[in-house]
Amino acid sequence: MSYLRHGKYLFYAGLVVLLVLSPSLLMRVNAPHWISVLTQANFLAVFAMSWDILSGYTGQISFGHAFFIGAAGYTSALLNFHLKLPLWLSIPAGVIAAVLMGLFVAVPALRLRGPYFSLMTLILPIVAMKFVLIFSNFTGGELGQFGLTPLSRARGFLAHQRVNYFYSLGLMLLTAVVLLLIARSKVGKVFEAIRENEEAVEAAGINTAKYKILSFIISSLIAGLGGALYVHYWESLIPSTILTLTLSVQLIVAAVAGGMGTISGPLVGAYLLVGGQEWFKELAALSPSLGFLEKWNVLIFLVILILLIFFARRGLLPALYSLWARVCPPARRAK
Amino acid sequence: MKSVLELERLRKTFGGLVAVNTLSFAVEEGEILGFIGPNGAGKTTVFNLIMGSFKPDSGRIIFKGRDITGWRTYRVVNCGIARVFQLSRFLRHKTVFENIEISTIQNRIFARENRQARERKILQAAELVGLGEDLWKLPGALPHASLRRLEIAKAIATDPELLLLDEPFAGLSAAEVEEVSGVIGKFRESGRTVVLVDHNMRGVMRLVDRVVVICFGEKLAEGTPAEVAANPQVQEAYLAGGGVNDA
Ligand SMILES: Nc1ncnc2c1ncn2[C@@H]1O[C@H](COP(=O)(O)OP(=O)(O)O)[C@@H](O)[C@H]1O
Ligand SMILES: [Mg+2]
Repeated sequence: MSYLRHGKYLFYAGLVVLLVLSPSLLMRVNAPHWISVLTQANFLAVFAMSWDILSGYTGQISFGHAFFIGAAGYTSALLNFHLKLPLWLSIPAGVIAAVLMGLFVAVPALRLRGPYFSLMTLILPIVAMKFVLIFSNFTGGELGQFGLTPLSRARGFLAHQRVNYFYSLGLMLLTAVVLLLIARSKVGKVFEAIRENEEAVEAAGINTAKYKILSFIISSLIAGLGGALYVHYWESLIPSTILTLTLSVQLIVAAVAGGMGTISGPLVGAYLLVGGQEWFKELAALSPSLGFLEKWNVLIFLVILILLIFFARRGLLPALYSLWARVCPPARRAK
Repeated sequence: MKSVLELERLRKTFGGLVAVNTLSFAVEEGEILGFIGPNGAGKTTVFNLIMGSFKPDSGRIIFKGRDITGWRTYRVVNCGIARVFQLSRFLRHKTVFENIEISTIQNRIFARENRQARERKILQAAELVGLGEDLWKLPGALPHASLRRLEIAKAIATDPELLLLDEPFAGLSAAEVEEVSGVIGKFRESGRTVVLVDHNMRGVMRLVDRVVVICFGEKLAEGTPAEVAANPQVQEAYLAGGGVNDA
């Protein structure tokens, strides 16, 4: 058992090393554009993990997580664009905006149950998008604003990409570690228990409202941090990248496919989703006979998701873990 | 004797239905009080009022001299009352250990955790109810009687001074009733207080020190088990429901 555990940590350490080395490796195999693909995967992983602590753990299924991402992205971008605030001020301001929106959603969420809460989260980003369009003089409307302060100040395209990659990787690893620590702490236990039976948790002497608000704060804070960094990674504020249903759905797909309620599952799911779609695109470009993949790309992924939900409802990672446990059963639990 | 819990003229209506009507009684420290009444008499509603699941329309609930009327459930629990639900409410994907563990987690987010003390408390509660061997099982793998025990263990693990048990014997065999009665007796021996709800009297007569009988939300009788059983009004109320000793 203990050597298996250590094996697991060694495996994780190896993955981190691989991720740190991957820009150099990708340059060597002459695939530098994959650096930006992995950067995108890192951002999606952050978004998916932030969703997981609220929806996977605490059971409050949000269909509009782009609302928090967008709140932070817009705040940071517009402060930077109009007031020329430096990033070290605009990004925290964006995070604060996201957390305020988290609290704003948390209050009705304490009263709304199940589908009503989810419906509200579905509508919020749409409402926000309407505001963006109404105040398009200020927000740039559908086109957005360009020329934001970039994350990376490195010269040269590739160096720039590498620095961006490391920012995104740092954020992603930090998010994963913090969320895994929270998930394994008593707070995570309370979140999971709330998901399963709120009344039982309240009867155990725990203020479930307080813990639900906490899960909103954690989730919106991380989604906001990701969103604020994301607009400066793009160096432009494009609503279609941070405030759309597509993004809300994409991060849910990543989280559910990887395994919701695990933190590591959504991370893996984001990599598979972003990496897989890019890989399909490349295959399609490779030969005319594979050209259909270009059009079928998204469809194929959605079908895979549906199959996963059907055959491995808990997601890919938990399914692999239980397969692993069946292949080499751990020693009986001694405690 | 000192009263731990006092209910003062409690009243609760649901729409036009008066579920609890100007009900007053006190629970004495260290006793096992039988809280008896036919189905639909309002027993569970009284527990819901005490635990803050509902607010009473009027009346007061005093626990150890403190007015706790309308407090949220978690506050009531943290000031020393625990309830065992009529129906089990367990976490399906968590082991028995983890189910009991939730009761030992402090409400304060940044509270300093003493893991060992917590683990000891979990084991103690499990031992007390006889689940010491089943700590690593999922609740789904337990028989009905053990699930009832799990509910009692969860309540006890919150360290209550007053334990409210809602029909703990429902669906148990005679032997299992005997065992659970033993658990309740042991809990009381530690100097704490129990209110035991049942819709019939036979099962609880030997266990309880005193009985309060309600019917249609109103108090019908109060006294020792023998006094109450001899009360003609009580017998009459139960005739409609099939008799005092109906199982
Ligand atoms: N949440 C509720 N809404 C409406 N009516 C209720 C509710 N809870 C209980 N009642 C009604 O109040 C009365 C007392 O119910 P209850 O307290 O469950 O009785 P007991 O536990 O003594 O069997 C019943 O008529 C029941 O239908
Ligand atoms: Mg009842």
